[in-house]
Amino acid sequence: MNRPQGQSHRPEITYEQILQLRHRNWLVRSVIYVLMTAMMLWSVQVTIISDTDWERMGSIGKVMSSAARFVGIDWALFPNLIEPAIETFMIACLGTLLGVLICIPATWFGAHNITPFKPVTYPIGRLLMTLSRSIHEIVWALFFVAAVGLGALPGIFAIAMRSVGFIAKMSAEAIEDIDVGPIEAIRATGANGFQVVLYGIVPQVLPQVLSVIIFEWEINIRRSAILGFVGAGGLGLVFFRQMNTFNYHGVTSVIIAILGIILVGEVVSYFTRKSVI
Amino acid sequence: MAVLVVRDLKARYSAKGPEVLKGISFEVSEDDFFAIIGPSGAGKSTLVRCINRLVEPTAGEIHFNGQEITKLGRKQLRVLRRDIGMIFQEFNLVNRMSVMDNVLSGRLGYTGNLRTLFRAFPRRDIDHALQLLDRVGIADQVDKRADELSGGQRQRVGIARALMQGPKLLLLDEPTSSLDPKISREIMRLIKEMASEFKVPCLCNIHNVQLAMEFCNKIIGLQDGIKMFDGPTESMNEDKLNKIYAMEVL
Repeated sequence: MNRPQGQSHRPEITYEQILQLRHRNWLVRSVIYVLMTAMMLWSVQVTIISDTDWERMGSIGKVMSSAARFVGIDWALFPNLIEPAIETFMIACLGTLLGVLICIPATWFGAHNITPFKPVTYPIGRLLMTLSRSIHEIVWALFFVAAVGLGALPGIFAIAMRSVGFIAKMSAEAIEDIDVGPIEAIRATGANGFQVVLYGIVPQVLPQVLSVIIFEWEINIRRSAILGFVGAGGLGLVFFRQMNTFNYHGVTSVIIAILGIILVGEVVSYFTRKSVI
Repeated sequence: MAVLVVRDLKARYSAKGPEVLKGISFEVSEDDFFAIIGPSGAGKSTLVRCINRLVEPTAGEIHFNGQEITKLGRKQLRVLRRDIGMIFQEFNLVNRMSVMDNVLSGRLGYTGNLRTLFRAFPRRDIDHALQLLDRVGIADQVDKRADELSGGQRQRVGIARALMQGPKLLLLDEPTSSLDPKISREIMRLIKEMASEFKVPCLCNIHNVQLAMEFCNKIIGLQDGIKMFDGPTESMNEDKLNKIYAMEVL
């Protein structure tokens, strides 16, 4: 090793120096603790103490009785929930499907070993993924409701855009991790680029990608159940209406319905994912 | 007549990287079974991969049946690769596909994109694949997935895939290094049989000198990207071997 000459011997550390060092560490740590506590107290002051309408909340008894309004189920509402529940399901399915289609270019651009022109296309692919994930589905839905109006369509668009990030990122990572051996072998037979992708890459990543898509579909059922809050159809819309008409038992019914379809989604997702791996 | 003529071939993996091949020249004739031997890192794999341009040579000429390989465009290169079969150390099969699909992938160079998409290979390709699988001794494994087979069986699939191309040259990149000594010998014997049956010259990069001496009629000895020996197997001896492998002793 060619180390600079001045550092060739170990500096000697004395007992006093070690103590001094510890003392300094202790000082730094205390300052950090004090700062953290102060920040926390400040946050409590701003967000809880001064921001809550204490008078309207009233006594603990009143809080409890307000919460108790939700206890009870509006059975008469259930027949009216079937259609929105199916719609929620459809929004999740079509949204996931559209998302998968958008994922194809995003994955192609965002996997560094297959991206067509790395300096330009790789950042574009990665940007698409980050953009999709960093914007909440409600925000996507608000955007699309403003663009195409109320109904299930903005919900589908919102779900699709929100799904791209996760599916494309996981798929791109799967592609980046593939074994290059089969690809070399397929290229050596005189296959073109398309054939190399189809024979060398797709079979290697398909189970992983399918599993991610099914997982995302399951999450999308959850997402589409609440998109109605901002006017994008499904169970969320019913929830919103029950809340607005102060039918708290109806709200509970909708929550139960949402829970039901999520459970169905989870079961379906579990078994289908098990079968593809 | 020489099928393959290589002249002053040079290769490096990056502009600033070390030169892996430092000007290699040799000729392969119609009925040659050529061995390339040498210590690890001598450039054996690189040399073999330069022939079908899986690795791009930086300088030199490669003539194959009168064609200058290094000057070919992308499309011409794909057409040329159809004539050169390759067998790999790690078999390089597509693990999640069936044995049949793996063998048929040898025909990809002759198959259109639409047929590829639906794996709809012509009848005669499928018949030919069945024949070859029977010939290499794994006709009973046709429907199995490639990753269900043992190492020796996988290499037989690799051999069938390479022969499926109807090659005019076979490149073998350490075909036996992942196999045990007994299976290694079986596989080498099979390759040699197939090569003489289909009249395909072979260029075989091989680590096991004993196997090289046993199965090959000509040997190239590489050391650190330089050709140290080139001649018929009979003219190889202990002294020359020691010279080729001198690097490993040091």
